[in-house]
Amino acid sequence: MSENLAESHTISSREVLFQTSNASITQCDAQGKYILSFNQDQIEFRACELISFRRKIQKIDLTKLLASDTPDIEIVSMPHCDRLFVFTIQEILELKDLFAGTFAMLELNSLIHKEIIRKGALIKSN
Amino acid sequence: MKDIIRSQSVLKEEIIERINKQIKIEATSSSAYLAMAGWCDVRGYDNCAKFFFKQSDEERGHQLKFFHYLADMEAEATSPTIDEVEHEFSSLKSVFEKALENEISVTESIHDLVRLARKQGDIATEEFLRWFVQEQIEEEFVARKCVELFDVFGNEKLAIGMIEERILSIEYDGGE
Repeated sequence: MSENLAESHTISSREVLFQTSNASITQCDAQGKYILSFNQDQIEFRACELISFRRKIQKIDLTKLLASDTPDIEIVSMPHCDRLFVFTIQEILELKDLFAGTFAMLELNSLIHKEIIRKGALIKSN
Repeated sequence: MKDIIRSQSVLKEEIIERINKQIKIEATSSSAYLAMAGWCDVRGYDNCAKFFFKQSDEERGHQLKFFHYLADMEAEATSPTIDEVEHEFSSLKSVFEKALENEISVTESIHDLVRLARKQGDIATEEFLRWFVQEQIEEEFVARKCVELFDVFGNEKLAIGMIEERILSIEYDGGE
C-alpha cells in the first residue's frame, strides 16, 4: 500500500522522519515541533500531542470497524488544533504505518543522542 | 537533528498509560471509601465514618500525587471517570473486610507498576514509587488491624462500641 522511506531528508532545519505514499512526518528543530503532512494538510504537533495522536490511531480497532454496520470510517479529534478528521480504513492503515516508522526513527535518534552525543560531550568535558 | 522527543517528554508511553490507570484506581478507592463513610455515618458509627472519610481523602491525595507526577514529566494525565462503587453492606465487619481487600488490590497494582518501571529501566519512576510502596505497607497494616478488632471483640452491640472507641487510634509505627 505504501512505500516506506527509511532515510531522512534534510530541508533547512526540517528533517523528514518517515514518509508513506500520502503522508509524512517532519521534525522542525527551529520550532521544536513535528509536522504531519497528510492529504495536502499540514498539522503541527508538540511532542506530547504527537504521542497522544499516535495513541488515538493505535487504539482504533480495525476488525471491529469492519464488522460493524456503520460506515467504515473513524472520526478522530485533534483538540490542540481544534480540528476533526474523518479517516477511511486505508488512511488509518497508512497512519499506523507512518507512526510506527516515525517513532522507530525518533527512538533511534534518541539513542544516538544518548550514546554518542551526550556521552561524547561528557567525556570531552572530563 | 535535535532530540526533541527527549526534551519534551520524559516517560515512556507504557509507563504513562499504566500511571493513568493507577490514577483511576486511586480515584475509585477514594470513592469507595466515601461510600463506606456514608454507610457508617447514617448508622451511627461515627468514628468508623471519620476513619473512612480520612481514608477517602488520603486516596484522593495519592491520585493527585500520581497526576502531578505525570504533569511534571510533560505527560498527559487523565482525569478519570469513576465506575459505580458498592454502597450497601451486610455488616460493619464486611465494610472493613472490603476495605482490606481494596488495600491488597492497590498494593498489588503498585507492585506491578514498580516491576514495569524496572523492566523499562525507568529509574525516576521507580524512585517516585518508593513512597507508595511504603504507604501501602501502612495502609494494609491499618486495614488488617481493623478487621482483627472484630475477631477480638466480636460483632455484638457492646463489641461494636469498643471497636468504635479504638478505630481512630490504630496507627502503624513503622515496625519500631
